[in-house]
Amino acid sequence: MTVGLSLADARARFPGLVAVEAAPAEEARLLQRLCDWCSRFTPLAALDGRDGLMLDISGVAYLFGGEAALIEDCRARLAAQGVSVAAGVAGNPRAAWALARFSQAKIAPEPLNDKAFAKLFHDLPLAALGLDGQTVADLARAGLRRIGDIALRPRAPITARFGSAPIARLDALKGLERSSIAPRFMAPDFCAERRFASPVQTIEAIEAALRKLADDLVVLMERQAKGARRIELGLYRVDGDVRRIRVGASRPLNEARAIVRLFAERLASPDEDAIDAGFGVDLMRLACLAAEPLAPSQAELERAHEAGRARALADLLDRLSARLGARAVTRRELIEAHLPEQAEAAAPAVLGEARSRDEGLETGASGAPARPLRLFVRPEPIEALAEVPDGPPLRFRWRRVLHDVAAIEGPERIAAPWWRRADAPTRDYFRAEDSQGRRFWLYREGLFGRETAQAKWFVHGVFG
Amino acid sequence: MSPGDRARLRRVVTQIEAEAGRAGERAGRRLPLTRALDSALGGGLADDALHEIAPAEPADGAAAMGFALALAARFLSQRSAAALVIGEGFAAHEAGALYGPGLVAHGLPLSRLVFVKAPDAALAFWAMEEALKCGAPAAVVGEIWNLKGYSLAVSRRLLLAARKGRTPALLILASAYGQAERLSSAAETRFEIAAAPSAKAPAAGGKDLPGPFACGARLVKARLGAFVGAVDDGVPGGRDQRSRLHDAGRVIRLEWRSEDLAFNEDLAFGDPAISLPLAAASGDGPRAAAQRR
Repeated sequence: MTVGLSLADARARFPGLVAVEAAPAEEARLLQRLCDWCSRFTPLAALDGRDGLMLDISGVAYLFGGEAALIEDCRARLAAQGVSVAAGVAGNPRAAWALARFSQAKIAPEPLNDKAFAKLFHDLPLAALGLDGQTVADLARAGLRRIGDIALRPRAPITARFGSAPIARLDALKGLERSSIAPRFMAPDFCAERRFASPVQTIEAIEAALRKLADDLVVLMERQAKGARRIELGLYRVDGDVRRIRVGASRPLNEARAIVRLFAERLASPDEDAIDAGFGVDLMRLACLAAEPLAPSQAELERAHEAGRARALADLLDRLSARLGARAVTRRELIEAHLPEQAEAAAPAVLGEARSRDEGLETGASGAPARPLRLFVRPEPIEALAEVPDGPPLRFRWRRVLHDVAAIEGPERIAAPWWRRADAPTRDYFRAEDSQGRRFWLYREGLFGRETAQAKWFVHGVFG
Repeated sequence: MSPGDRARLRRVVTQIEAEAGRAGERAGRRLPLTRALDSALGGGLADDALHEIAPAEPADGAAAMGFALALAARFLSQRSAAALVIGEGFAAHEAGALYGPGLVAHGLPLSRLVFVKAPDAALAFWAMEEALKCGAPAAVVGEIWNLKGYSLAVSRRLLLAARKGRTPALLILASAYGQAERLSSAAETRFEIAAAPSAKAPAAGGKDLPGPFACGARLVKARLGAFVGAVDDGVPGGRDQRSRLHDAGRVIRLEWRSEDLAFNEDLAFGDPAISLPLAAASGDGPRAAAQRR
């Protein structure tokens, strides 16, 4: 059976064939999951096409007892998850790719001299260079089928006839050309990890390990006088699932207790099923994704009461953000905008203090606030009765209650910026107080006569 | 126990508290509001306690929020820290989202406000407790609609957290309209807030212009603790005015001057437009406690 065979032909040849529809999205997800899992071996793990993973294991193989042991470990653990793999190790990504897919020998000796290269690669098919099918077919027509066939021939004629790709790939295979991999996650600045001989399952054990990891991480960061702004806890489960929990801090953290507390909030958070340890976690890694130097004067500032309070507030906001989500804890700032609903912007409080203009109290003619305390996300339509179509309302019905207008100020005309939305109707805003003393921010949409024949009324907000 | 014994005991308690330095300290850590309210509260609003604010009617939610935010603005002017405004996530759709330009106009420094949106009431109470305990904020304002989980125990936790962090808690019981007297909680004070006509400015033609924020406030509950301090601070005519104010459950019209962060009060406020029922005796206030003895 070959690739590209039609299903009918395949069934004719093998009557017992089981056909399964391709699910590229599912496969891609599985591959990503495996890639995450592989970051237990090295932080530099990348996807390679639709069916491969590329790990940069420079300097880490000895931790696992050498390259052969690393491959064996990886193969055995993946087999336990029901995934069979072909692996190759070489001095450059291209060679490793070729070995994994086309060769019996899986490990290229280092350094690779010409003789060893010839022995390992010259017998491999040209597809092992990673050339596209058309080029391979062209080369085959010229009688060039193995890597040795082009490696031993003069380069110029091959380039002239088949383009630069075959020779460039050959150089890459020899490691003459530098090629790098794009890891799925960047290597963290600092990282501490702990492997467990027998998987841990209880949340208490995980938290205990987390405390030790935080201690280790803080020691690492202390050497460079840095604190963590973003921290990630990776829980590598026995069944191959990797759970990553990230927290942010609004100031560089360099205390293990503060770090542990942030994660404790997340672990206790209701929508967090992070601690579904399943069959257990056999590797935990605490990585600092973003570190910042500690302010040199921090120690001095700490003596001041104010700074202590500011720190306590920052820690509080971090804790709230960790549990409720960063978007649930916000600061706001005013923005110069015509439309009232665009006049403010919210930013997560963990990002630090918003720059805000607090001056510029807007007041109406009577010294009262010109903007309401609460603004409806969607203006609510009301039935309003006005003496004249373009005049202020006398009474209006909102949420089934009739309000008699006792005092009113307006109109304040607000139009959408013409360069954005030419067709948006103009709004005339009124501040109205009813006979009960409740104050509303009403508007009429559309200029009577010019933009609309039947003006619509809305409540946009309420004053206190 | 005879009245004489009680008076003696009370003197002893006051003495012990004064010796421990607590009574004096606490009396000094009160936020003055207006003359009448201060005398009823024993010198002002304690800044290490839980204060509840309930609207008189469903439509008075905005007035209750306006009153709570005015108190927060006063607390903010006393401390340089930020204040937290904690609410449930859905409230923005039902009652409208707090609006930055409006908050600034109300006298609140927007750069010193942090807004917290909790998915439910239980988490909102948790967030309030955390914020109070840590002691960093200048004030913690909570607006809770779903009061099913608000029990004596929860209010006690909030009160203790406020004590521990010396941070005032302003809790708006948004759905407890008309129940201000029936609720039982550990709060130190409870206000019932209704909308009130503002001081209107005359306009050249047609209707008057609406004035600044005003509300009708009724002090429904003030715990005994507040009165102990009041005995010592010697407000002139304190006791009489206090009991009159409290017993009658009178509605005081408060007008908020956002530019100097202060209330104007209007004691002779009997506008029939405010349809508050004549107050009954408080269920768990000092008067009821006195009767029980």
